[in-house]
Amino acid sequence: MDLSFSEEQEMLWKSARDFLANKCPKTLVRQMEEDEKGYAPELWKEMADLGWIGLPFPEKYGGGGFTFLDLVILLEEMGRACLPGPFISTVVLGGLPIAKWGTEQQKKDILPKICKGEAILTLALTEPSARYDAVSVQVKAKVEGDHYVISGTKLFVNDANVADYIIVVARTADSANPEEGITLFIVDGKSPGITTHLLRTIAGDKQCEFTLNKVKVPKASVLGKPNQGWGMVGEIIQWAALAKAAEMMGGAQQVLEMTIQYAKDRVQFDRPIGSFQIIQHYLADMSIDVDSSRVSLHKAAWMLSEGIPCAKEISVIKGWLSEAYRRVTAQAHQIHGAIGFTKDHDLELYFRRAKAAELYFGDADFHREMVAQQLGM
Amino acid sequence: MDFRLAQDEEAFRREVQDFLAEALPDDWLGVDPDGHSEQADEKLHHFDLEMRRKLAAKGWLGLQWPKKYGGQEAPMMRQFILEQELIYRGAPYWAISAALMIGQFILQFGTEEQKERFLPPIVRGDVQWAVGMSEPNAGSDLASLQLRAVEQEDCFVLNGQKTWQTGAHYADWATVYARTDPDVPKHKGITTFLVDLKSPGITMRRIPQMTGHPAFCEVFYDNVRVPKENVLGEKNGGWRVALFGVATEKSFGYWLINSGRRDFEMLVQYCRETYVDGQPLSKDPLIRSRLAQLAIDIEVGRNLGLRLNWMATKGMPIIAEACQMKPFGGNILQRLANLGTQILGLYGPLDEQSRWAKLRGRMKFLYLASAAMTIEGGTNEASKNTVASVGLGLPRG
Repeated sequence: MDLSFSEEQEMLWKSARDFLANKCPKTLVRQMEEDEKGYAPELWKEMADLGWIGLPFPEKYGGGGFTFLDLVILLEEMGRACLPGPFISTVVLGGLPIAKWGTEQQKKDILPKICKGEAILTLALTEPSARYDAVSVQVKAKVEGDHYVISGTKLFVNDANVADYIIVVARTADSANPEEGITLFIVDGKSPGITTHLLRTIAGDKQCEFTLNKVKVPKASVLGKPNQGWGMVGEIIQWAALAKAAEMMGGAQQVLEMTIQYAKDRVQFDRPIGSFQIIQHYLADMSIDVDSSRVSLHKAAWMLSEGIPCAKEISVIKGWLSEAYRRVTAQAHQIHGAIGFTKDHDLELYFRRAKAAELYFGDADFHREMVAQQLGM
Repeated sequence: MDFRLAQDEEAFRREVQDFLAEALPDDWLGVDPDGHSEQADEKLHHFDLEMRRKLAAKGWLGLQWPKKYGGQEAPMMRQFILEQELIYRGAPYWAISAALMIGQFILQFGTEEQKERFLPPIVRGDVQWAVGMSEPNAGSDLASLQLRAVEQEDCFVLNGQKTWQTGAHYADWATVYARTDPDVPKHKGITTFLVDLKSPGITMRRIPQMTGHPAFCEVFYDNVRVPKENVLGEKNGGWRVALFGVATEKSFGYWLINSGRRDFEMLVQYCRETYVDGQPLSKDPLIRSRLAQLAIDIEVGRNLGLRLNWMATKGMPIIAEACQMKPFGGNILQRLANLGTQILGLYGPLDEQSRWAKLRGRMKFLYLASAAMTIEGGTNEASKNTVASVGLGLPRG
């Protein structure tokens, strides 16, 4: 057993933290919340040049050939910095599925562009039912000659406003079992018939209403096997849940650190409030939430990297962090008092993100159900 | 990073599992790692003695200790593996662990003579030790203890009282923290003694616990003469011994979680097999969700414990981490017992002995027993104080 990180991983950690502290100040974070695109293209390019966007992709497509655990390190620092932009969408929702299930042609066409920072991707899965289940996939794709025609509305599509390729999950055959008859398509973002509307959210991220009106897609754009897409979706949700958990982890760590510092600095009744036992116990509880999250996050990421089945472990950490991150940010507000409630302070950025992150890629209820199934209940 | 055990460690784990499958009865319900069951129930106590002999025969007591005192000089990870398996199955282990902890103190602070005298009997499983720390007016504030030890020519004379001593009535020896200098700051006037509990002047009274188990003892010292060679460490150096214990023997929170896994699995099994209105309880969305949450908590806690143990094997300081673990473990067992009794409904409150009892009354017992688990081995509050000061560097109040 060795629970330490390699020297390379430690370096990745440090360089990510230093880079983001420098290049992603909170002024940029706030600016991007109001921005139509939601990310800074120059910063995106710099991240690509650093090899971050290509991190988990095979070297032959311009990637770094790193593991999911390495990706998690990066994501933790992105969560700490509240990095705005389509990183999880591009890398985890779009890139990794193509790397795993794409044809050689699809991989050659798209992965190098991702790695160079020239293509943004996302996944269009959820619909107005707002659930991550197969029965909710109602958008239909019909064969017409040598292509498919897709129509319907996808809702809560991350970063569709800037996506060059959107992996659309659509129903291609009716079946008594809703998990059958689902196909994934790699759709060009400039295809005629696509409209995108930005939705404003609590976290200032870019959620979209994504409408397909008779969008023509060549048959060669099918990702994986037709009618057998739901298994892939299940796996993508797991990766995304783990990636989101990593971001949450970094955010929770940052909130803990800034709150400890505040408790040391803030003087009331002639002494730092961090000397009051009740504040100490609040902070001790927060530290238990944060430190316990970290081991479980790294264990799940390590298992995924090693190819060990880890559906349960992923649900454990996303289910746990969905509540723990919210608890930590709420407690941090209580300790900060009025200043934390203002836009002048960073804390509110994390409080808002914690709520959104809790609900994305399965909330605690969703992952409890996954764990229940894994327990054979 | 690698969360797997090494091959030889994995083989050792299987060996321990096989040993336990053999040594424990098929319907073994398990005892809690605080020792309250086997230190109260005569039959369980005898089973504990039997287990000790079997473990000693395997060479598994004092695994890490030097060979010259009967140990195996095995890596610390072996000891952790052994503990986890014993505690997961609910084998009686508390008395052994108390003896091993004190053996560890003797290794650290003892004279060569003390090591040769006291360690081999522990390795053979021949001796039971009790820990004499708490007093009526010294709980979390241990340093305010008042039991007096006055130095005479050939011995120290002890007068006073210890309390909440689990299993002292079955123990042969005890470590006793006593005040040897009342005129210095309270941490600086304490000495640790190794006391033969059969010494004249010692009397005991067993105290029934809320569960009905008389596992606690009040121990009275009336002019008890303790030879000078039984001082552990330096005179007035007892606080260092106590702190060493705090720094090294803090896996109790992890034990609670490992023990809770057994009860949790039993509860899940019950919910899968118990049908209400033609459907298993485990399909009831409310029950299902709450069980899954416990599963998540237990898994997160186990991983935290894994890290704690790994840090200990690397010689890293673990005081703050252990103090994070402790409330985590105690809280989970309380929630588990609360949920368990609730799921059993009107059967929940039934006594263990009732012919109608479900899960042999385990949930009712644990509901009562777990009330102690956020207190014993360091209260949640004391643990969080330590997390705040040692771990987070917050200023003292």
